[in-house]
Amino acid sequence: MTSLSRREFIKTSIAATTAATAGFTVSQAALAQANAAEAGWKWDKSVCRFCGVGCGEQVATFQGKIVAIKGDPDAPVNRGLNCIKGYFNGRILYGEDRLTQPLMRMKGGKFDKTGDFVPVSWDQALDEIAAQFKRIYKAKGPSAVAMLTSGQSLVSEGYITNKLIKAGFRSNNIDPNARLCMASAVVAFYQCFGVDEPANCYDDFELADTTVLWSNNMAEAHPILWSRVTDHRLTDKNSRIINVTTYRNLCSDIADLEILYKPNTELAIANYIAREMIERNAVNMDFVNKHCIFATGPVDIGFGMRPTDKFAFPAEKDTLAKQLNYTIDKYEAIAQRRPEMAGKSVEQKDAGRADAHWHITFDEYKRGVAPYTLDFVAELAKGDPAESLDAFKKKLQQLANYYIADKSKKIVSLWCMGANQHVRGVWFNEQIYALHLLLGKYGTPGNGAFSLTGQPSACGTAREIGTFSHRLPSDMLVANPAHREKTEKIWKLPAKTLNPRVGTALMIALRGLEDGSVNFVWTQTVNLWQSTPNTNHWLKAARKPENFVVVADSYPTLSGKVADVVLPAAMINEKWGMFGNAERRMQCWRQMVNAPGQARPDAWMMLEFSKRFTLKEVWGELPLPGLKVEGFPENKLPSVLEEAKKMGYNENMTLYEVLFATPDNKKFKWPDPIAKGMENSVVNLLGDGWFVEKALFEEYRPFTFGGHDLAPFDMYYDDKVRGLRWPIIDGKETKWRFSEGNDPYVKPGEGFNFHGKLLKAIPSGDLDGVKDTTPKPLPGKAKIFFRPYAGYPEKLDSNYDLQLCTGRILEHWHTGSMTRRVPELHRTAPTAMLDMNPADAEKRGLKHQDVAWVETRRGKIKMVVNTRGRNKVLPGTIWAAFFDEGVQVNQLTLDAADPLSLEPDYKKAAAKVYKA
Amino acid sequence: MSATDRRQFLIRTAQMAGAAACAGVLWSPLVRSQAKASAHALRPPGALPEEDFMALCLKCGQCVKACPFETLKLATVADDAPIGTPYFIAREIPCEMCVDVPCVPVCPSGALDREFTDITKARMGLAVIDPEICLSMRGLRCEVCWRLCPVRDKAITLNIVHNEGTNRHVRFEPVINSEHCTGCGICEKACPTEESSIRVLRHKFVQGRLGEHYSPSSDGDFKLQDVRRGTDIAKELNPGDKKQAAPGAGYFNRRGGRDGIIPGSTP
Repeated sequence: MTSLSRREFIKTSIAATTAATAGFTVSQAALAQANAAEAGWKWDKSVCRFCGVGCGEQVATFQGKIVAIKGDPDAPVNRGLNCIKGYFNGRILYGEDRLTQPLMRMKGGKFDKTGDFVPVSWDQALDEIAAQFKRIYKAKGPSAVAMLTSGQSLVSEGYITNKLIKAGFRSNNIDPNARLCMASAVVAFYQCFGVDEPANCYDDFELADTTVLWSNNMAEAHPILWSRVTDHRLTDKNSRIINVTTYRNLCSDIADLEILYKPNTELAIANYIAREMIERNAVNMDFVNKHCIFATGPVDIGFGMRPTDKFAFPAEKDTLAKQLNYTIDKYEAIAQRRPEMAGKSVEQKDAGRADAHWHITFDEYKRGVAPYTLDFVAELAKGDPAESLDAFKKKLQQLANYYIADKSKKIVSLWCMGANQHVRGVWFNEQIYALHLLLGKYGTPGNGAFSLTGQPSACGTAREIGTFSHRLPSDMLVANPAHREKTEKIWKLPAKTLNPRVGTALMIALRGLEDGSVNFVWTQTVNLWQSTPNTNHWLKAARKPENFVVVADSYPTLSGKVADVVLPAAMINEKWGMFGNAERRMQCWRQMVNAPGQARPDAWMMLEFSKRFTLKEVWGELPLPGLKVEGFPENKLPSVLEEAKKMGYNENMTLYEVLFATPDNKKFKWPDPIAKGMENSVVNLLGDGWFVEKALFEEYRPFTFGGHDLAPFDMYYDDKVRGLRWPIIDGKETKWRFSEGNDPYVKPGEGFNFHGKLLKAIPSGDLDGVKDTTPKPLPGKAKIFFRPYAGYPEKLDSNYDLQLCTGRILEHWHTGSMTRRVPELHRTAPTAMLDMNPADAEKRGLKHQDVAWVETRRGKIKMVVNTRGRNKVLPGTIWAAFFDEGVQVNQLTLDAADPLSLEPDYKKAAAKVYKA
Repeated sequence: MSATDRRQFLIRTAQMAGAAACAGVLWSPLVRSQAKASAHALRPPGALPEEDFMALCLKCGQCVKACPFETLKLATVADDAPIGTPYFIAREIPCEMCVDVPCVPVCPSGALDREFTDITKARMGLAVIDPEICLSMRGLRCEVCWRLCPVRDKAITLNIVHNEGTNRHVRFEPVINSEHCTGCGICEKACPTEESSIRVLRHKFVQGRLGEHYSPSSDGDFKLQDVRRGTDIAKELNPGDKKQAAPGAGYFNRRGGRDGIIPGSTP
């Protein structure tokens, strides 16, 4: 290898690398040959399949296969870098056990719930699914069917599924796994700003003086962003990083200050900081008076669990009872200004109106935070028993100091699942916004509270398209008549086609399979029977004879095991796609290769399914028990067939013709020059010549005008573009929102304008309740919420004496259905181990690598104890990742949820551990 | 054949081969070529220096039987170590560094040092990184070797440097510290590149040696960078802790704090 530098050598093709492995020297002739081979490769831009960071990639294809990938050097997020998952993006398509044929449970040549899985044709599978759907739909109406989708669904897929179920089937029972991930962030955005979007962007990482991580293991969950944050710390000597966390994670290695706190007490810490701001006259009163109001809501709102224990395992009943009555401890009593209630049971009377909130005065806000003195909060929140109270107090003071620092210092707060997967996740999100609003440090370069996103298109698909049970596209709500009307107009639907009642959130749909209120579930790009908490319930429920479960996925998963039909789905570069990342950046790719065998894109499955329904089956009168909404008959949805006829539809038209292959959409012809000659499986399979992804994106775009403005489809596909951050006005993207000079929707002279439109007229009152029910409009203002410290339902006792927290590791994505198919990644972390404090392990006679039982009220599993793990957990706590199908940690987790967002709390289950 | 049976079988095969070798019949040319273990064939923890180890090892297989992870095996004819002796290849099954080190006390001959009890003191080999291939060295967020290292932050530390290429990220470069590396090989096993970019080799194949005529005046250059270098965080975080030269000085100093953190001031 004399004349050739090793680095150059690495760049050469497979042929040359093979030669190197075999120990040959490479002749110039061989090298030329190698280069010639690479010359046949076709490179095109793409996006990483995994997390919410949204790294850009370049993908090379040759002879119908992905042969190489690299980080896209022109992508502003990652500038050519990847994490270890991203490095294997090109390999996740080629696992040995890819699903390539539809599989259905059969006996004697026909579907049978108790049969074994048998390969069937697509027509056979879709016909059976349609028949089962119709059986349930006819008997019980639109509330008994549900589509459960994903923050990893493409924008086009989300749009198609959403439109089919909401406009076609007139059901709002669609919910993404973003419910398990970002729902708390969403509700806080709505309540504080009237719009669901981050005001800041990644540029802030380089601009901030202080970066505060709130329960956010960014080093593993947002690998490339962490590299940026670290670089800023390294190159700007005056910048600081603060890690506020319940266990010592990898971020602590870089952080200047680590604050270890007890789970849930971040609610108290935030109020302490707010109190300090007031005490030290640090509140930016000018900003607050001009742009904010204060607000609060009810306290006794339960924990998002079922109000009945009818379906509970015996051991679960005591936890479940806390949904109705909950005993507050000394700290909660003081924090909630009712010290006399310490140790007493409090009826959770406001569980049904957790999202209510009302205007209060600044004085009331002050009264709210008054109990949160340093002494009180330090005693409550100190997480590490080995740390002295004084040392902890000093840290809290210092944290407050960093927030209160002079005006010229810029501060960014970051958080993700640690804040969102929390029984009071919405409250805590709101508290972080409050800290920034009190200082007037929000939505400007280097200043902001930035909610990081877990999944690659939680923002772009789940939230923007609105694949939630309560949402319509672009921040509109199902429950709002004006929003339904606007949607019906854009979608060309008869008035009152859309169901006015909010559908079932994801966990409610799974509970529905158990209690009989939901009988049909179709999942896309999600492995819910591994990823949802308390899975032992849903695993059993899926197999109940009256239920029908369809799982579309690319690989065999546990969810598929309990399904009735498994549909082989195409993966990332096997279809045209678009993702929207955490900083409002929409980015796209073309189809580069074909899916193996008969695997097909989810979009095609939905479109093909829609052909199996005529208008008369779904737009006639439908039962909807319990419906009582102004303008609608009671207990049913009205027939809209007459109105439909007037609009030129006839009752025998299929939903495919009415909703998708419309005359307007068919104007977008395939092939299109933007495709640069590349394939489109959805178009090819449909065979009717319209460019599905482009037509539907252009149909969707008008929803976004006036706030979330997206650019034309072709602009994203421009070779020079590496994603664009919405709103895009006059071809220009927007980095920061709500501040003058940054946000095109803020007029000169306004300074700031919180122009979000939702929940912008609320009653007024004091900390204890509403005093004046007249809704008071607050145009252009943000809300600073007072939210008290509150506990959680499953506290430790002498039996269940360890608190189980779950999470992700850098090496694996979610349930491992893709990353565990890459042998190299699998080797890095073959099994999920139980991180345990060495002292706790020793107490139980356990040592590193021992096998132990981990048991909660909901189940028990075996895990290998790890006392040398990357996460140094505090005594009394244990930690496990959820990627491992062989371990199934979610059989243990509790499905308590934030009552406002219905997002489950995966971080606090009471467990016991003993030697296996 | 169960795992235990399989192991018994392998041990027996190796022992037979060893016996044949000792007898010097038939095998002698092979034995000569096999007299030394190759660079990546590692000895069990607590093994004496190779020459002593070879002198004492009875090739009995007790340590192999005691290993709960099937890491150790007895060399057979075509293997990388002298026939009948225990060894392991990190990329196949690394040493899991059992806290109670079960392989050592069962050694009847002392080839594995009976005094050896602290597994972190094991020096089975020394990891070495190929810096051109290592993903972390290239700026990717990998660092798998560091995260999995049982003596993380001692045997493998991260040197964090600004990535000039992107000018926006860092490289978390893994660095091996021979003082602490046990040679367990967990890093080599886990490394996700096609050929491992980190390998554990026997010390003599990795370590250099300065000439005896030279005594380095300073090893300051070897000190790793800390991202936080140059800041006395303790002082900054707790300004009140500073020894006060005179009453009131703390108060005045706080107002002029380097970070502009001014407790009690109005904005």
